[in-house]
Amino acid sequence: MSELNLNEDQQDCLQEIINVAMGQASDQLARYLDTFVYLKVPSIEQVSTLSLIETINKNEKSVAVVSQGFFGYEGIRGEALLMYQPKDSDRLADLLGYEPDELSVEEQIIDLSSILTTTFLNVFAKQIDNQMSYSAPRLLAGSQTAISDHLAQQSFNWDLALKVKITYQVTDYSFNCDMVLLIPESAINNIKAVIDRILEEF
Amino acid sequence: MSLDEICSDIANKLNTGILIIDNEYKIVLWNRYLEIHANKNIDNVKGKNIFEVFPELPEKWFKRKVESVFQLNAQSFCSWEQRHHLFELQHTRPITTNSHFMAQNCTFLPLEAKNNSQHVCILIEDVTDVCHYQTMLNKTLEDLAQANRIDGLTQVFNRKHWEECLEKEFSRARRYQHGLALIMFDLDHFKLLNDTYGHLGGDKVLIETAKVISSLLRLGDLFGRYGGEEFAIILPNTDKMGAIDVAERIRVAISENVIKFQESQIKVTASVGVAIINENDLRYEDLIANADLALYDAKASGRNLVCFAKEVAEDYNI
Repeated sequence: MSELNLNEDQQDCLQEIINVAMGQASDQLARYLDTFVYLKVPSIEQVSTLSLIETINKNEKSVAVVSQGFFGYEGIRGEALLMYQPKDSDRLADLLGYEPDELSVEEQIIDLSSILTTTFLNVFAKQIDNQMSYSAPRLLAGSQTAISDHLAQQSFNWDLALKVKITYQVTDYSFNCDMVLLIPESAINNIKAVIDRILEEF
Repeated sequence: MSLDEICSDIANKLNTGILIIDNEYKIVLWNRYLEIHANKNIDNVKGKNIFEVFPELPEKWFKRKVESVFQLNAQSFCSWEQRHHLFELQHTRPITTNSHFMAQNCTFLPLEAKNNSQHVCILIEDVTDVCHYQTMLNKTLEDLAQANRIDGLTQVFNRKHWEECLEKEFSRARRYQHGLALIMFDLDHFKLLNDTYGHLGGDKVLIETAKVISSLLRLGDLFGRYGGEEFAIILPNTDKMGAIDVAERIRVAISENVIKFQESQIKVTASVGVAIINENDLRYEDLIANADLALYDAKASGRNLVCFAKEVAEDYNI
């Protein structure tokens, strides 16, 4: 387990890359959505299968989770989970610039997830001279019980993952959501190699 | 063969629609797949506005979608699960599915050319097959969930689901200080009925009784078979007088109902117990116990009666 852990330098470097990416992403999002988007300083930690389920369960009020896979060069890959609370969906259509009757709440949530994920990861990828591709976003489940059921039923083929959690806040629309990037065990060494290369270049 | 030729050959043999538009929504290019499924020649649509060629597109939504691709320079998706299709195209299973148009997963890709001109490439995949089987699966799951809630004989809620409903209604009533009433009734001398007419006769009585009661209830009332010949009804937002009124109507309806079975005409009566939620009820089981006691009272006082739970003082006898 410990050999997968990022050392202090690696952790700082990843944090810095993410910070820069967050700044640029927030700027792009603000221009597209025409309102300020705040991204809260991310938490980076290693999680086990079990603790992931617990974190999601602890987030009791979350009603929707959207998953979108991402994959780039040098074996950088993972899954982004976007988590929403019930009150957050009220003015989503408005925020996205759609008429509420043009699209269902599910579609609004999926659309926004895709925008948040791809915007952030595109700038993140650029920071590490990479380029991301994405799978289509999918609504994993629409209600809390369904989400824990869904996760509990999975026989995960990973034990550990690197977890980066970023909270998005759109204060004008009193909207919050969490983006959790999960990089599976098999890709952690790949991202460490990329970080080490960047550290050497300094 | 040059690489360009190879690419163009593959693009035209691909089982995916490729459609490229410019930033004025004009069609720049599409592949053979689209030419065939839209049944339009590329020469007739090139340079035309996409909304003119596909008038079925939701224009405002589509423009906002494409705008996000241009502005954020990020790909965007549209799944059949949210929108069955964007383009009205023919599909490959017109005979064995009931889908009128091709169900589609669409991907919007930003394309940046060297001269900074902006284009969006839309990839269109036929998922009619996936859509068909997923819809069938969803329907089956729904049926299963429904079957899991229903008592096979009487078609009212089964004990398990009914109790789950009561648990929810009970906590809701306590939280919001709403009224909640419970009616439990039991068919009188049911064993005798079974002995006289056989189990088929008994079953017919249960089925017909459940039917009559169902027709008396309001939309929010929850009617279930508690076990054997005992039934139970949850009445949300209902006070004592309201509940007794419903109980009395149920008693009368059952006693007046004549059930035809083979050559016989069967008449039954029911004993009814009524309870309403009170401060001493901490669990929903307390409410059941109170209604059950009232039901026992009705039995002991001569049957074909409505009794109100003693807990809250007075008896209600007809």
